[in-house]
Amino acid sequence: MTDTVCAEMCVPPTDMLYGSPYEFLETGIEGRALFNLPFGDIVNFLTPYTAVLFIFALTFTIIALISKPERQVDTVFGGDAYYTKDIPKDTLKFQRFMAIACGLATMGGIMAGDVFNFTLFTAFIGITNLGIVAAVKNKHILDNAFEYGLLAMVGTLPLFVGAALVLATTGTLSMWVLFNSAAAVPLFAKLLLVIGVIAEGMAPVFVAKAEITRAPGAPYILMVHVSSLLIFLRVIEIVISM
Amino acid sequence: MQLTIIRRVSRILQNHNNLTAVYALVVIIVAAIGLISIAAGEITFEKDQLYPKTIDKSSPLNPYDRGGSPFEPAEIKAQYPENFPAIGYITGYLSPFATTLIKISPYFGTTIVAHPGGILDEILYATRGLDTIVETSILFIAFTTAMFLFRRDEE
Repeated sequence: MTDTVCAEMCVPPTDMLYGSPYEFLETGIEGRALFNLPFGDIVNFLTPYTAVLFIFALTFTIIALISKPERQVDTVFGGDAYYTKDIPKDTLKFQRFMAIACGLATMGGIMAGDVFNFTLFTAFIGITNLGIVAAVKNKHILDNAFEYGLLAMVGTLPLFVGAALVLATTGTLSMWVLFNSAAAVPLFAKLLLVIGVIAEGMAPVFVAKAEITRAPGAPYILMVHVSSLLIFLRVIEIVISM
Repeated sequence: MQLTIIRRVSRILQNHNNLTAVYALVVIIVAAIGLISIAAGEITFEKDQLYPKTIDKSSPLNPYDRGGSPFEPAEIKAQYPENFPAIGYITGYLSPFATTLIKISPYFGTTIVAHPGGILDEILYATRGLDTIVETSILFIAFTTAMFLFRRDEE
């Protein structure tokens, strides 16, 4: 919206942009907000769409919390012998901690009611994914973790530039305001947000390439996939609604 | 054999060592779109900013002066002021040591911000406090990972 149009249409602009807090004037794919959770300027919320994602993330966090790591058994060909791969206790503890942190970050990102808060939670997910992958002691896997780490670091640039552009072009970061059509977010900012999330959520590709989905410590690797899937679904919802 | 376009692209994409380069290419394409849309005038700066920033060069707290005096609320813009009734009281408060520094020299702005009891940014720590919590959590996780990897070979 240009300045001249705004001068006629939204006088005073505060009434239109900041007028009705905690209510979406138009609901697209997400539906009405079920509830809101205010933290000062950041008002988190769940809609029917994000509530489904939230329950999904919560379920997998509980699974990571209570499950025991997978212990693989290798049978020696041509004999009765077999050997089991044992998981060191410190690796187990670390991976479990990272998986739970990743689940909490995913739930935070799903509930986020503020674009900058969402990008922060996305960066949080990226760094916990890196922790989960990097805990496996294997040169091949650590090489992949390094590649993913590079990508995640590069990805923070478009991610935060996108959030900064949203603030600069609309003057606000709250999704309650941005989801109404009075605030026009340029396509460039949306594209930056999406490619930023792509870089942070790229971890499953490296996980699959490193073939650690069924490696020792398997149930915690699941969290990498879950968090990436859910954060993609969330950013698509944000970009469509904005 | 003549390779089709899809086979040629998938040959590049299947090597995960190329992923960083492919991603960099995507960033360059999006940046080009951004430059074109700036040239086309699609991206304009919104004058009515939620978090405005003004610099008062004559203030001894320059460039971090956020207004207000101790025990009186400063003018702080917030998206939802009703969520934070005590808005404006944090940013005005200075410790006695900081007040002394102001009187000594007008060039201690950064020092006052950097020492305990200096200016607390109200937007950073009160109205957008959740952001600060998440930022420190990210740092915490990063240090935990670094610590685990560094100390793993000690046993």
